[in-house]
Amino acid sequence: MDRRRFMISASALAGAAAFGLPRRANAAAAAAAVEAAKQYAGSEITIVWEAGLQSLDPLNFSGPKWEAATGVKVKVIEVPTAEMFTKILQEHRAGTGAYDALNVIPAWMPDLVRAGALEPLDAMVDKYGYRDELQNIAPVYRDNQMTVDGTIYGFPDDGDVFVMYYRTDILGDPAIQSAFKAKHGYDLPMPPKTWKEFDDVGSFITEHTGGKPYGAAFFRDAPYAQFMFQERFRVEGGKFFDADTMKATVNSAAGVKVFSDWVEENKWMPAGVQTWGFVENLAAFLQGDTAMTISWPPYGRWAAGYGTDQDALSWVPKSTIAGKVGYATPPGGAPQLAAGFALSVSASSKQKEAAYLFIQWLNSEEISMERVQLPYALRDPFRASHFASAEYKSRWPQAPEYLAALEAGAVSGLLDLSIIQTDRYEEALRQGVSRLWAGEDPQAILNDVAGQWDALTDRIGMDKQKAAYAAWAAKPNAYPAGA
Amino acid sequence: MTAAARTPYTDRNFKYLLIVPAVATILLVGLFPVIYSLILSFQNVDMMFEDTSFQGAKHYRALIGDARFWESLGHTLLFLAIALPAELILGLAMAYLFLDRMPGRQVFVALLVLPVTISPVVAGATWRLLFDNRFGPINQILGWFSDEPVTILWTVDPSFVYAAILMAEVWQWTPFMFLLLLAALSNVDRSQIEAAELDGAGFWRRFRLVILPAIWPVMAIAILIRALDLFRLFDVVWALTRGGPGTMTETFSIYAYVLGFQQFETSYTAAMSFVVILLLVVTITIVLRRMEIER
Repeated sequence: MDRRRFMISASALAGAAAFGLPRRANAAAAAAAVEAAKQYAGSEITIVWEAGLQSLDPLNFSGPKWEAATGVKVKVIEVPTAEMFTKILQEHRAGTGAYDALNVIPAWMPDLVRAGALEPLDAMVDKYGYRDELQNIAPVYRDNQMTVDGTIYGFPDDGDVFVMYYRTDILGDPAIQSAFKAKHGYDLPMPPKTWKEFDDVGSFITEHTGGKPYGAAFFRDAPYAQFMFQERFRVEGGKFFDADTMKATVNSAAGVKVFSDWVEENKWMPAGVQTWGFVENLAAFLQGDTAMTISWPPYGRWAAGYGTDQDALSWVPKSTIAGKVGYATPPGGAPQLAAGFALSVSASSKQKEAAYLFIQWLNSEEISMERVQLPYALRDPFRASHFASAEYKSRWPQAPEYLAALEAGAVSGLLDLSIIQTDRYEEALRQGVSRLWAGEDPQAILNDVAGQWDALTDRIGMDKQKAAYAAWAAKPNAYPAGA
Repeated sequence: MTAAARTPYTDRNFKYLLIVPAVATILLVGLFPVIYSLILSFQNVDMMFEDTSFQGAKHYRALIGDARFWESLGHTLLFLAIALPAELILGLAMAYLFLDRMPGRQVFVALLVLPVTISPVVAGATWRLLFDNRFGPINQILGWFSDEPVTILWTVDPSFVYAAILMAEVWQWTPFMFLLLLAALSNVDRSQIEAAELDGAGFWRRFRLVILPAIWPVMAIAILIRALDLFRLFDVVWALTRGGPGTMTETFSIYAYVLGFQQFETSYTAAMSFVVILLLVVTITIVLRRMEIER
């Protein structure tokens, strides 16, 4: 061996010691799943996945990779988000066994468990040695989105959390900063920490620039806006129910303030913002039409231009703001952990073990690290190792700050309301939001929403719902710390 | 002895044997769900529980006080009351226009019929894009006329939301009326019209006394088909507004879908459907009698 070869070998060994060995240790759950799944080689499992970009993960990456490693084929059943709950429950009722593994929004998990649609996973977790790796999932997801009444029904697999994105070049512009101070009497906060500051900054930028860009915009379309209501309502001190009487208190002063503030904010946001959904808001921000927004984590990656040259992301407008975006938790510091996904096994599956092994492998340290870095797949960091990943931090210059904002959200984030038949309560809220945009009075709308919530509670059963709410409200991330 | 009496019993009934599979299939896929739904409506099956014990008329009683149900029926009837005459009048006018031979007639007729070939949900989604506040051409075109940017929120603003839905609905289904009425008008005896003209009858008199009686059987069926279609109006409304704002444009079909397939109020939805079936049967019977086409 000559000196050069020796040096190369020594470097490789040192590299393996530094990076390879921990990775090997973390690969235990993935490797165990692969080994065990080889007995099912030649079979096919189905997995329900959100239609669109999300499903490119199993279609293009994890499905083929799993098949190459184990010989087990993966058939992806794409379902739009709004229909996933319905399809899963319908299939369970029909008992066809058509679905083996499932993507489940954690807020639905209690309802699906009560309906008997999800398989308890504890026994398989122990059998295949996955309990230790589960502990490395960020606590807010692990402790709140994995179990129902102490039993594991799903593996938290998507660190959905709202992040505030702001243009550092605009908020940091000395001319804007001095004009802002002259008008408001305090330094322009970068980023705004309270909703008062946010509204001051946003309205000022619109006024100062004549709407080029607008100070901010949000998705206001009801299905998205109801998540933002849940967050801001609690940040303003609101509680969904009176814990003693179980009467809805969504029509309290906090709720009315949020609705009233929204109507005021629309006046300095782009015309028609009431109809904006995920894509409209994204397009406006990436094209530089708005200076601030709040959304899920993919906005941050795409704003930096990460992976947007890939075919799958050809529909995403080219970012004109790469390198000019700051990341922070939204005003109030307690962002909504809006939606998210957990991986579960269908109770009516005829291949439960094979399905389980696939989701353990997907969710493992090793494979999830690769999946959350797929620019097109919409899975967001959810493990401590994801937030700390040197590889991820090197993806674009501001990636370390981006991951820090996500990690902060994973500490203080607020859980989606999750009680019995949550979607019916949320539906009333969605209707309330659409009535707000139709020009109705905030107090009258929220009184109606509260009335509908009370009627629902009576219909479901006051005691049952009270117990479900008490269990949810007792979780540390149900309401902001100190609320 | 008759021929029938001479034919063996099995030969005489063989024809019935041949249609048994078809009849059984129809009964299985048609009648069984109806009977099963009727049974369900007297049980208590929902998302969480499959309580199949007899609950009496519990759900039917609850329906009487369900304001959202009656409102959804009211919205459905409102759409029907506006869209049906609009489609009929426009369809008839277009049929008149294309009655005479003209250059390119067949091409125009084919183009006009295109909307009917589009899936209603696709048509709804397309109209949603057309009505889009930011990128939609409708606001843009209105802006050219008003000389300032138009920012109408067609699918949100209560003043415009019904107009938006009706525009999409009438656009898609007027060609259906047009096609049927064009066929009917083409078959009207020209000599009768010419005779009426010679007798000095004006347009309206000719239409009322000669043309209308001739095309009435086809027109009545066209009205009936469209009325039933409008009664189950779903796709366009769902794609445009999802029944909103609030429940302002929620039709009966949307309410039934939300309750039955999103919230899994299975028994309640079954009861709701039966009330509507009952209302429809009574209405259609009366309408058919008044139209004098029950034969």
